[in-house]
Amino acid sequence: MNQFVQIVVGGLLQGGVFAIIALGISLVYRVTGIVNLAQGGFCILGALLLYSLQLDLGWPTALAFLAAVILTAAFGVALGAATFVPALARLPTSSMLMLTAGLLTFIGGLTLIVWGSQPYIVPPFSGEQPIDVAGILVPSQGPWIAVVAIIIIGGIWYLIARTDIGTALIASAENPTAARFMGVNVARLTLFSFGLAAAIGAVSGAVVAPIMSLQFDAGGFFTNAGFIAVALGGMASLPGAIAGGLFLGVAEQLAAGYVSSLFANGLALALLLVTLLWRPQGFFGGSRRRRDVRDEQRVYRSVVRFSGRGTVVAAAVLVVFLAALPYLVGGALLSSLVITLILFIAVLGLDVAMGYAGQVSLGQSGFMALGGYAAAILATNYDVAPLLGAAAGMIVSLFAALLLSVVTMRLQGAYLALATLTFSLLIDSLTVGLVDVTGGPSGLVGIPSLALGPLSLGTPRAMYFFVLALIVLLIAALAGGMRSSFGRALYAIRADQTAAAALGINVPRYKVAAFAISAVLASLSGSLYAFDFHFLSPEMVSTPRSFEMIAMLIVGGEGTLIGGLPGAALITLLPTVFQPLALYKTLAEGAILVLAFQYLPDGLLGGARQLGRWAMAR
Amino acid sequence: MNQPALEAIGLTKSFGGVRAVADLSFIVPAGIVALIGPNGAGKTTVFNLVTNLFPPDGGDVRFYGTSLRGRTPNAIAGLGLLRTFQTARVFPGMTALENVMAGAHRHVRVAAVAQMLWLPAALREEAALRREAATMLDLVGLARFRDTPASNLPMGAQKLVEVCRALMARPRLLLLDEPAAGLNDAETAETATLLRAAADSGVTILVVEHNMSLVMDIADHVIVLDLGRLLAQGTPEDVRRDPRVIEAYLGTEA
Ligand SMILES: Nc1ncnc2c1ncn2[C@@H]1O[C@H](COP(=O)(O)OP(=O)(O)OP(=O)(O)O)[C@@H](O)[C@H]1O
Ligand SMILES: [Mg+2]
Repeated sequence: MNQFVQIVVGGLLQGGVFAIIALGISLVYRVTGIVNLAQGGFCILGALLLYSLQLDLGWPTALAFLAAVILTAAFGVALGAATFVPALARLPTSSMLMLTAGLLTFIGGLTLIVWGSQPYIVPPFSGEQPIDVAGILVPSQGPWIAVVAIIIIGGIWYLIARTDIGTALIASAENPTAARFMGVNVARLTLFSFGLAAAIGAVSGAVVAPIMSLQFDAGGFFTNAGFIAVALGGMASLPGAIAGGLFLGVAEQLAAGYVSSLFANGLALALLLVTLLWRPQGFFGGSRRRRDVRDEQRVYRSVVRFSGRGTVVAAAVLVVFLAALPYLVGGALLSSLVITLILFIAVLGLDVAMGYAGQVSLGQSGFMALGGYAAAILATNYDVAPLLGAAAGMIVSLFAALLLSVVTMRLQGAYLALATLTFSLLIDSLTVGLVDVTGGPSGLVGIPSLALGPLSLGTPRAMYFFVLALIVLLIAALAGGMRSSFGRALYAIRADQTAAAALGINVPRYKVAAFAISAVLASLSGSLYAFDFHFLSPEMVSTPRSFEMIAMLIVGGEGTLIGGLPGAALITLLPTVFQPLALYKTLAEGAILVLAFQYLPDGLLGGARQLGRWAMAR
Repeated sequence: MNQPALEAIGLTKSFGGVRAVADLSFIVPAGIVALIGPNGAGKTTVFNLVTNLFPPDGGDVRFYGTSLRGRTPNAIAGLGLLRTFQTARVFPGMTALENVMAGAHRHVRVAAVAQMLWLPAALREEAALRREAATMLDLVGLARFRDTPASNLPMGAQKLVEVCRALMARPRLLLLDEPAAGLNDAETAETATLLRAAADSGVTILVVEHNMSLVMDIADHVIVLDLGRLLAQGTPEDVRRDPRVIEAYLGTEA
């Protein structure tokens, strides 16, 4: 009994933090209809700023706390004014979502540069000694978390229920167009909510920092927890966000306390999926549905098509060039080229799901891990032929994808992206936690080289040619599908689901097909990755990889199949060529995502075409 | 037996307090049928109920005798009941020709795998679709826009592309929501020709239209809605003379 209460108290504390984060997400969602994935980034920023101000500069806790929150909020406002608010007017919801993913990556990269990759823990605000309440030990940080949560919740409630800003917030949540006519400055309101959410994020990060060690890439965890909380409670419902956060915290702690922390992560995914399947509006959403104009907004983008003789010639030239590369370069650069090609296979899959069908997937790293570990374990421990191992991985991934699709095929935009994000995070915790199977954090060693029957592909050059040949075949197959009715159906779904269905296109079925293709290709990429490195550790195929893939695709150009190649090359090769850049890689990926969405909507390929047209016109 | 193409029985739908469609029954015989009524009469809502974009509060719809209740929009399209939208919904990111080709979706026979393997059957089918779509664009005078991104076309052309896309599906019944709104006179005439040609080839058309001279020109039968109810129906001449119709339209057109 005592133990139970003890765990519940811990869960309520953690849940209180989740609830605060959820409030931030819900706030921005109300005004804009966008799930702000950057929310978790502000938590980390707030916590690390608190650490530095308090411990490096020696400021008193209260002052450091206040300054950390103000600095984060100011940073949030600047970031919002430069990116989120101007983009909101122009970009469709799915692109906005990815833009916030870019912001999250950017903030992570920034904290990596400033604070490095080690975890930080801040001393509790009022001593280490836990408080004894009738035999239950409450961490000394507990009351602080409770008080802060109550202040934040009360403050937000007051803001919404009692002030003009609140009235405007409600009006624009219910009907943005009408609100605009009523004279609400939606842009300013958006910026305000974004900045306020950043401040709330900083508060939650700072208050939880003493009971949780935090490092630069923990933002994804917080975003995910906050999102699951709002999904449970109902996206635009503030009481829902609070109840969802508390419930999630308690459920996770109970699962971790009585079973294992791995089970807790699985439980979070299960809770999310069951909610989405059974009560997609959440448990507090009620029937009051947001009249969402953004849902109906169609995706406008220019047409980048490769067809005709020019394409055949260009493709031939490209293949010859790629085939000649191993004779021109060697050493580390050739190894990086191999990795570029291997990652490109996963990006190719992402292009089918995201570039063609418009289904944002953050699951690529999860499927890479499934494929990588399945193939590596089979080949290393059971002497299965490497290619068979890769095939087994693809089957596992296919099943996982189909299972996930049962829920996600009816979802759109944010829900799909976040369900897949939860999946990736779950796989992350499995690869780290199932030590007996995966070797845990230190990874699997001694993975054999890829072999085609008796022919071993042990050298980078052999591997390069094999992967290149595979890619040529894959692109030929996908191009065949994409230029035909299959591809048109996917494109139609991306552009306008209602109109697509009105033509008899079975929207859920095509979404599942696209998602399955992307999962299988990611799995293949993961297997090849393991065979190429002869080693596989969790962070090689962890969630940041998913975000990286999206950056590769976007910067290269979606919906072109080949666009992922320059994208993958840019992001993989630059840090190899200029070693000092490695530290800035995450930051650059984030910046690339954000900038590409704002200024290069068709990627490098589309941009190059436009430049060509412009030059021709002169 | 001469079954009606479409039969609505007691259709009802409210939005909040607004009764958009109230206990509405009508029959669409073969030919070109016009569905008219003042703004807000519930015409678009009828289309949305027939194609089950949202479910009715009550009532049923039969398509050649088959009930459409509970079927998904894509299943309804699969039966041969196609529609267009009041605001043109061409697919941005696709050319005009690709848009029209997308309409053929329900006729595509070769599997996606065959398309990926570039099998001859797939290539043949694709080429045939391309020819058919191109012919259709020629027919409505949009040949020069074939490779233009559909969303860059002028509004009138977008509406025509949408009609072509629906016709590519070879529908048995086609619901058109204001196909001539925003078109100039020449484009309107082209639309009329297209619709007559389609009707001659056996497609039944139910068209919502505010342009009365177009309605009188092409319709065999007219259904008049007002405030979600059936006001009158009959031949264009009958309806034009009906005092209730004249009253409902007073101050607009007549
Ligand atoms: N999705 C909806 N939500 C709320 N109200 C709606 C919705 N769709 C239609 N209505 C209301 O139902 C009524 C009928 O609208 P409908 O669009 O069917 O009229 P219409 O005859 O097509 O008019 P128009 O000639 O202007 O296109 C109107 O009062 C409209 O405001
Ligand atoms: Mg209408």
